[in-house]
Amino acid sequence: MSSLFRKPWFPVTFGGMCFVAVGVIVEVLLRLGILNRYILPFPSEVLAAMVRVIEEEDILGRMAVSGMEMVVSGFAVVLVGVPLGTLLYRVRVLRLAVEDWIAALAAAPIVLAFPLFLVIFGRGMGTVIALAFCFGLAPVVLKTTEGLVGTRQVLINVGKSLNMTSPQMFWEILFPSALPSIFTGIRLSWTFCLIAVIGVEFLVNIGGLGQLINDLAERYDMPATYAAITFVILVSVLFFILLERLEKWLQPAR
Amino acid sequence: MSGEKQAALVVENVSKRFGDAEESVLACDRVSFEVKPGEFVAVIGPSGCGKSTLFNIIGGLLGDYEGAVRVGDVRIDGPHPSIGMVFQEESTFPWRNVIDNVAFPLELRGVDKLQREEKARHFIDLVGLDGFEKRYPSQLSGGMKQRVSIARTLISQPEILLMDEPFASLDEQTRLLLGDKITQIQQQLKQTTLLITHNLTEAVQLADRIVVMTYRPGCIKRIVNIDLPRPRTSDVVGSDAFGHYVAEIWNDLREEASRGMQDSEAIARADRRRV
Amino acid sequence: MAPTGEMILKASAADMRRGRAFREARIVLAIRLAFICLFFGLWESLSRSGLIFQDVVPSLLNIGQSIIKLLVSAEFWKNLQVTAFETLTALALGALTGVAAGILLGANRFIGDAFEPYVYYLSPTPRIILFPIMIMWFGIGLASKIALGALSAFFSIALSTAAGMRQIDKVLIRVGKSFRATPWQMATKIYLPAMRLPVFNGIRLGFGTSLITVLLAETKLSNQGLGYMVMSIYNRFDMAGLYGLLVIVFAIAGLGNMLIGKLARE
Repeated sequence: MSSLFRKPWFPVTFGGMCFVAVGVIVEVLLRLGILNRYILPFPSEVLAAMVRVIEEEDILGRMAVSGMEMVVSGFAVVLVGVPLGTLLYRVRVLRLAVEDWIAALAAAPIVLAFPLFLVIFGRGMGTVIALAFCFGLAPVVLKTTEGLVGTRQVLINVGKSLNMTSPQMFWEILFPSALPSIFTGIRLSWTFCLIAVIGVEFLVNIGGLGQLINDLAERYDMPATYAAITFVILVSVLFFILLERLEKWLQPAR
Repeated sequence: MSGEKQAALVVENVSKRFGDAEESVLACDRVSFEVKPGEFVAVIGPSGCGKSTLFNIIGGLLGDYEGAVRVGDVRIDGPHPSIGMVFQEESTFPWRNVIDNVAFPLELRGVDKLQREEKARHFIDLVGLDGFEKRYPSQLSGGMKQRVSIARTLISQPEILLMDEPFASLDEQTRLLLGDKITQIQQQLKQTTLLITHNLTEAVQLADRIVVMTYRPGCIKRIVNIDLPRPRTSDVVGSDAFGHYVAEIWNDLREEASRGMQDSEAIARADRRRV
Repeated sequence: MAPTGEMILKASAADMRRGRAFREARIVLAIRLAFICLFFGLWESLSRSGLIFQDVVPSLLNIGQSIIKLLVSAEFWKNLQVTAFETLTALALGALTGVAAGILLGANRFIGDAFEPYVYYLSPTPRIILFPIMIMWFGIGLASKIALGALSAFFSIALSTAAGMRQIDKVLIRVGKSFRATPWQMATKIYLPAMRLPVFNGIRLGFGTSLITVLLAETKLSNQGLGYMVMSIYNRFDMAGLYGLLVIVFAIAGLGNMLIGKLARE
């Protein structure tokens, strides 16, 4: 028994089992009539609805829509953010002038501006992508600059002592040194993008996975709503895990 | 030793002042010495004597100074290809494995992969890291990382090897053993070497001559010839002659070091008052 | 190593840098002013010319007027009160549960290993999609927004509390034990002071997320609060008013963020 406790997978599995146990207890309490079945569906029904939602609600198509929005906004964020972060590093006074503004932008409730985006970009993918872009831009800019600024002076001195040219210095020393930080920035930015995409879809009832939840909730299909929410949460969690794996995999033996 | 040969490196009346007209610090004050081909010279002094400034000037990282540092007929005012620098801080590239780290200078020069890897292997052997070619710096100890840096500098086959306290972050025993390695490499390559250090035993263990510097403004207090037999190993630290040299140089250094200590304590007090 | 000559050199170098920093600060200020002027200039000319985004870019004058109009209207203050009440209650609930959960996760290795991965990976999921569930549980009034806000704040506070607990320098704990401090003394004299910063940082992040979640929930289904107000202005197609209200809300969010940050540093 004690050896079981020491297995690295045991605690996580135990944690997962606890969630399952909560589900079972809720099921029992509902069946006993202790919990109100009009606000809480049977977990077994939610599980069954999961199959129904996947089969009948065109989950794949919806995922494609949300995924498309993610890909466009995600790549736009990187294509704009990394060069912008590099520019801020190169021009020190510019960084001192606007870094605080960008940090403030990162903390600002930008998603609330969605009505504005609706007016400008119309009720469609354009709004979702534009908002996800604005919401996700700041972290990658800040982290790119941070990584470049954080390059250790001694590595720059090594470059100088080898008489490296300015492009060599950037591509051989500054950029690789900043890369871990840039990856972290991209991961954060893409997380922001995902939140914005799903959130806006849900709020304005357009597009993919977010809309599905809205639809089901408006139909008062309780088990299906729970199932769809669970599904979207699972998808996002998988997405985060994938991003983290990718980040680690891209930088061997650091 | 053929004393007639032209010196490999000449340091002539080098002074460096930091700051502006209102407030300035004289870091180096008319420092002059030479390093002959194949010779191992150590510069020793208390912290704050301008050793690092001198290192940066000779390495060409600090262009604006008075006097002259010459290699051949060239006055140094930027990094010179015949000077190879080894830094005090850990300076391997964490994103490159050992062989790519060591081959880096050749890569810059456009040497093709096969050739540069062969040469890198040679220098990795030389510093005793064979078998670690594919490891990344994060998988190596501090002493090993410093040896990677040394191999990376040696691969360009610089006329002069310039080192700034390369073993400062290592423990005493590793330091002694790495000293052996350095001595061995230096003899093998007949490598002209200038070592900047604050460690007395390290300087006496390795050097042919020791330049002793004063506390600020850093100027030369004395130059001591170390007539310990070559080839030399770390066993030498047990000999009477070694102890003698250490005692002699400490005698010079103690006064400077204690001046430095008083100074920094005064500053700490002033700082506290300011707060 | 004792403070040495290097320090002196650095100290004097810092003195020297002061002159440069002063010049630099002026350039930075100039750049900022230039950006602001450029932005306002472009905006106003775009608005006057009416070339593109004709109805979308109201004149700055109109936006300024709408801000003033909002700030003197009773409606704005009433809605602000609602949103502030919801957000602060949510933050208090989230902080209470979050700090407690964080301490549990940080103090016990097994509990941490078992549950922290779940908290960690759930924390960045979009929270607004839980709103339908909150409505079923707590109705369409304030309670559902508060619950959603609390849930949003919980994650970042729990995670940073747990991390803060683990980051405490182990030697400080050994020092405390060597002086035979009681558990209560350990908690109040060592753990809490050492964890202050990460906990406050978590609360600062939690404030941001709970505020935005509350606002978004109000836009979705509500008849009061600033989020509701945004939607009703949008439905009237009052662009100047929409910009004005958004500027005010962003300012409030920034101010709250700064305030908590300042509180943490004191």
